[in-house]
Amino acid sequence: MSEAAFLSALADTVFFWAALVFMVAATAAGLGAIRMALKGEAVTSLMGVSAFTTVAGVSLYLISLPELFNVGFARDTAIALLVVGSVGTILFARLFRTGEKS
Amino acid sequence: MIAEIFTVVYAAAVFAYVSWNIKKGSFVVDPSKLVLYLFAAFLIIVGALYFMGNELESTVLAVMKIGAAGILFAGVPPMIAATIGLFRFGDEYGSNIFYVRNHIAGVIDTVSSLVMIFAGILILRIDLVAVGFFFFLFVPFTGGALANAYYYVNQRRSEK
Repeated sequence: MSEAAFLSALADTVFFWAALVFMVAATAAGLGAIRMALKGEAVTSLMGVSAFTTVAGVSLYLISLPELFNVGFARDTAIALLVVGSVGTILFARLFRTGEKS
Repeated sequence: MIAEIFTVVYAAAVFAYVSWNIKKGSFVVDPSKLVLYLFAAFLIIVGALYFMGNELESTVLAVMKIGAAGILFAGVPPMIAATIGLFRFGDEYGSNIFYVRNHIAGVIDTVSSLVMIFAGILILRIDLVAVGFFFFLFVPFTGGALANAYYYVNQRRSEK
């Protein structure tokens, strides 16, 4: 194997394992977020769901990368989760606040 | 085999450095200097590999991908710390524990968006950078809106 091919293979291996380890850590954080969403009251549940949406979105985006598993449709799901998740959290937080006032 | 050994050593080094930062509570090396050091290391490594006879473009791309792997490894210790925090702080700490959990959720959001931005830059994926940056803009508003909602809900409840 030439030096260039070895360097490219080394970079691919390191990136693959790094993304995999990050996804495992993110999954653990997602489990904590699910626990928070299921145990807490309304606003805490909203926060847990928001954190889980983030973790799921980033993991799906990493899965969609051609350097990893190249699952193309996961990219659209990830973008939807990340964008709609954060916007929805802000909207529902406003609703909780105004709902309690009325 | 050499690639796997390099991966383990590289991951251990990055984990140790990030954990040292977390334990200290501030930056061990100032970020503005750290970026310059990392850029200097990048130039030295690429230059050395180029003068050893490698093609410049493939060398730069490979070294940048290894850097992106470092960014992903650097995101792991904060995620583990956030996981421990989410399981550790239960309801027995009172109603204000919500703000601690909100901070932990903010750590998860911030780490995720920063990993997307910097890893996207280093593997030349502009869509990843764009989504990460868009998400990064929303992180403080999300945390603020949640804390605001909880404050007013809790206040109304205590007035009843």
